[in-house]
Formats: sequence, structure tokens, C-alpha cells
Amino acid sequence: MQNKIKSQRFIWIDIMLTLLALVTMEYFYYGARTLALSGICVSVSFVAEIISLRLMKRKFTADDLTCISDSLILCLMLPAVMDYTIASIACVFAVVVAKNIFGGRKNMIFSPTAAAYVFLLTSWKSQVLMFSEPHVHTGIFENAEHLVSSASHGFNTSGRMNYTDFEILMGNVSGPAGAVSILLLAVAAVILILRRDISFGAFAGTVIGTAFLAFFVPVCNNQWDSLKYTFSTNMVLFAAIYIISDRRIAPKRNYYAFFYGFFIATFSYILVITTGKENVIVILSVLFAPVSLGFRNLENQIDTLVKEEKDAEDLWEAIKSGEFEIPEAEEVLTDE
Amino acid sequence: MNNRCSILDGFITGNAVLSGFMVISPIIVCGNTIMNSLALIYAFSAITFLSVTIGSFIPKKLSFGFKTIIHAVIASLVYIPVKMAAEEFFPGVIERIGIYFMLVAVNSIIVVQSQTKFHNMTKGKMTVSLICHILGFDVVMLVISAVRELLAYGTFCGRIVDADMFISGLGMPFGGFILLGLACGLYRSIVPSVKNDDIAGGGSNVSDF
Repeated sequence: MQNKIKSQRFIWIDIMLTLLALVTMEYFYYGARTLALSGICVSVSFVAEIISLRLMKRKFTADDLTCISDSLILCLMLPAVMDYTIASIACVFAVVVAKNIFGGRKNMIFSPTAAAYVFLLTSWKSQVLMFSEPHVHTGIFENAEHLVSSASHGFNTSGRMNYTDFEILMGNVSGPAGAVSILLLAVAAVILILRRDISFGAFAGTVIGTAFLAFFVPVCNNQWDSLKYTFSTNMVLFAAIYIISDRRIAPKRNYYAFFYGFFIATFSYILVITTGKENVIVILSVLFAPVSLGFRNLENQIDTLVKEEKDAEDLWEAIKSGEFEIPEAEEVLTDE
Repeated sequence: MNNRCSILDGFITGNAVLSGFMVISPIIVCGNTIMNSLALIYAFSAITFLSVTIGSFIPKKLSFGFKTIIHAVIASLVYIPVKMAAEEFFPGVIERIGIYFMLVAVNSIIVVQSQTKFHNMTKGKMTVSLICHILGFDVVMLVISAVRELLAYGTFCGRIVDADMFISGLGMPFGGFILLGLACGLYRSIVPSVKNDDIAGGGSNVSDF
């Protein structure tokens, strides 16, 4: 039990380290405002978590620090010039509505981050999908003047990207800074998979599903370009690591987790090429929550059946070896 | 005292929406402006009061299923003049509400609770209890829709309010669902006398739409 608790906390530390690397990259491209936004998101989530746990008459433990990583993930999905109030509302929504109302961290139905992002998309779409250009540093208390749509939007509508491979790799494209730093995300994925912090099955399912469709049903003329751009846009890689492969949400067994990720990837790709909507994968990760819950229920049923079968086998072995004697009917009657 | 409480409980402790989760879909889907909510309040109040009152004259010895059909027929008949009047009082709103205006006519208070609860009371008690249940729904509908209109559109009764930020998601059904869920949770923490029976009390208290 102690090991289990420790491992949960180590997972949080590993995820936080990768997220901090992304925040540093974001700071490099967009300046101090990103740090202020991250700080506000983390503070608001932390306070909301403490207050909501207090209202639920629960103690705040180290495991509840996941609210901080959740808020950082959300922050990395937002434009660096996002209004602080809107970001704060989203953080409160993630902690209170998407997580604690459903029973807290032990009963999570969908990723709080993804749910909060969908909430933001429905309420403040223009603010969420308009970004400042990389290397345009906005002051902490300033409002950005010249905003542009993301590279994902351009790719979804035209099938082209006017960026070099190096720029794409380094995240030097317009969009949510955390979600476009492809090189850092790839490194983070490797680290988190090797340290078993994220569900490998879900990650593999998402990547393979996206790659399969991007290659065989390409968005642009060249299949390799389609593959490359599909992974670097619409938060595909970011969502695959931090949302879909979240161990709290994804099915436990890699076999089921693979199909969970595969379904999300497939449907999101189809939606992207048919509707051109941005970041559909995040929306679908919320909509596919019942699939994950179904798989988890199936896993629980299988575990129960396996345990019952094992108990029956153990009992049979004990009877055969003479360690356990079946009481005679007369003895039972006498005892009664 | 207990007798009085049981009659008045429809307003607070036995609130149809917050306690029984009944008639929630019109609130979730259409309760995003005060004008919508006023039209639904009018329809719900008029149809429910008239249908249950007329239904109280149905002989009790008839079978439950047969009485349910008669109640539905009565509610449908009452619906016709109520809708004609609503088109005069709330022009344009009825089209916006759509099917939810019709669904109010077959709410569970009329179809189920009239037989299991109201028609077992004396006429006087039934009238008071019914009015309390209707007022309970009306108040929740009005408050939820006022909050949603204010936060989602920055208006109050159609008049623009000086607000800097709108949460347009609250104007959508999922926003209404979340807000109503929060209101239910708040209500249950404030009103400790709400019985678990009110939530899991079998078919009579399960939301009908």
C-alpha cells in the first residue's frame, strides 16, 4: 500500500518535471506572462482543491497535488495572452466541477483538464483559439494587440503548413506553446513511458491510430507530410501524453487502453478532416469517457472472475493434498 | 405541525426539482433566459394545477394504469387552451422552447404523483400541497434561468447589464445541467431534512423527462 501511494506521488513528480520543461520553453517564446499565467492557474487550482476538499470533509494529502499538474496542463493548452480571469474560472471548473463533484481523484470519470478546456471552448472560443506569434513577448499586465489563428487552423483549412521542420520540431509556430513543442513532447513521452507514468497502451493506440489514418487517408498530397503535420498540430501528441494516457482515466490493461486510445485517435482524425475543427482530440477524450469506464468495469469483472477461479483451484489443491478435509454430513449436523 | 409540514414540504424539503429531480429537462434545456422560464412557469403551473385538480374527481377504484391514461388525456386537453393563451402572452417564446413546452403537459407530478400523493389527501390539503409543489418548481426555474441569463448573455429580463465577462457555456444545456447539479448539491447540504427516500423513492420520484 505504501509503495502504491509512493508510486502515485512519483508519477506526479515525473509529470511535473516534464511540464516544467514545457513551461520553460513557453517562457522562452512568449515571455514572463506565461509564468504569471501558470502561477495564477496553479494557485487558483490549489486553493479550489483545498476549499472543495474541506467542504467534502476530506483531508488534503500529497496525492491531491495532482490538481497542480492538471492546472499546468490546462495552462499549456491556452494562449500565452489568455485573460487571467478566464483561466482562473477554467481551473476552478476543472477542480470543482470536473473532478471533485464526481467524487474526487479516486472516482475520476474524465480528465479534468480536458473537461475544462471543452468548457472554455464553448464559452470563450475566440480567446482560446487566438494566439500571439512566437517571440512576441506580452507584458504581465498588458493585452496582446496582434493575435493570429493557430498553425493547426491553417493546416485544417488548407492542408498546408508554412513552417520548416526545424520550427515545427522546436515549437516555433503559432499555437498553445506547450502543445506545439514537438521535440520536448517526444522526449517527455519517452521519459514518462519508460518510468511507467502514463498508460503505454493508450499512448500507443492514439499514436498508431493517428499514424495509420494520416498515412493511408492523407490530409495533403504527400503521405509523409500528412503524417508529420497531423502529429504536430491539433494538440495530438500533447493530448496523447497528458490527457488520453492519464493513468487515472485510461483502462489499466494495455490491451484495452490501446483500443481506447485507438478509438479516440480514429474518430478525432475523421472529425478533423471532415469538419476542420481544431483540437478535436481533446473534445473526444471527454466524450469517450464512457468507453474508458466500460473497459474499466470489464477489467474489474475479469479480475473478480480470475480471483474466484484461483480460490477454487487453491481449495481443490488443498483438498487433493489432504491439507483440507471436507467435513462429513454427520459432523456438520452434530456441530449444529 | 407535522401535518402542516407535509403539506408545505413541496416548496422546500420536498422540492420537486431539487429533491425529486423531476421536470428537470425544461430547466436544463430552455431555462436559459427569464422570458423562457416565465413561459414555462406559466405552462407548468396552469397545466399541473388544472390537471391534478380535475383528475381528483376520477373514481379511486379504477386501476392505476387506467387512471394514468385518463390523467394524460386531461393534461392534453388542458394543454390546448394553455398553449393558445401562451401564444398571446409570450409571442415568439413558445417556438423557441419547442417540444419542451409540450412535454410539460406530461410531467410526473400529473401522471404519477397525482395518484400516489395528492389524491390521497383531502381536497383542501391537496390544493395547498399542489400549490407548494408548483411554487417550488417555479422558484427554482426562475432563479436558475436568471443566473444563467446574467452569466451567459449579460442580460436580465432581456435588458443589458453592465457585465465585463460572459460565460456563454452556461446558456447551453450542459451549462444548465452543471448549474442545476450544483444547486441540488447546495440544497442538500443546506436542507438536512431531505430524506434519501426523496431521491431513491422508486418510480414516483424519478424524473420523467
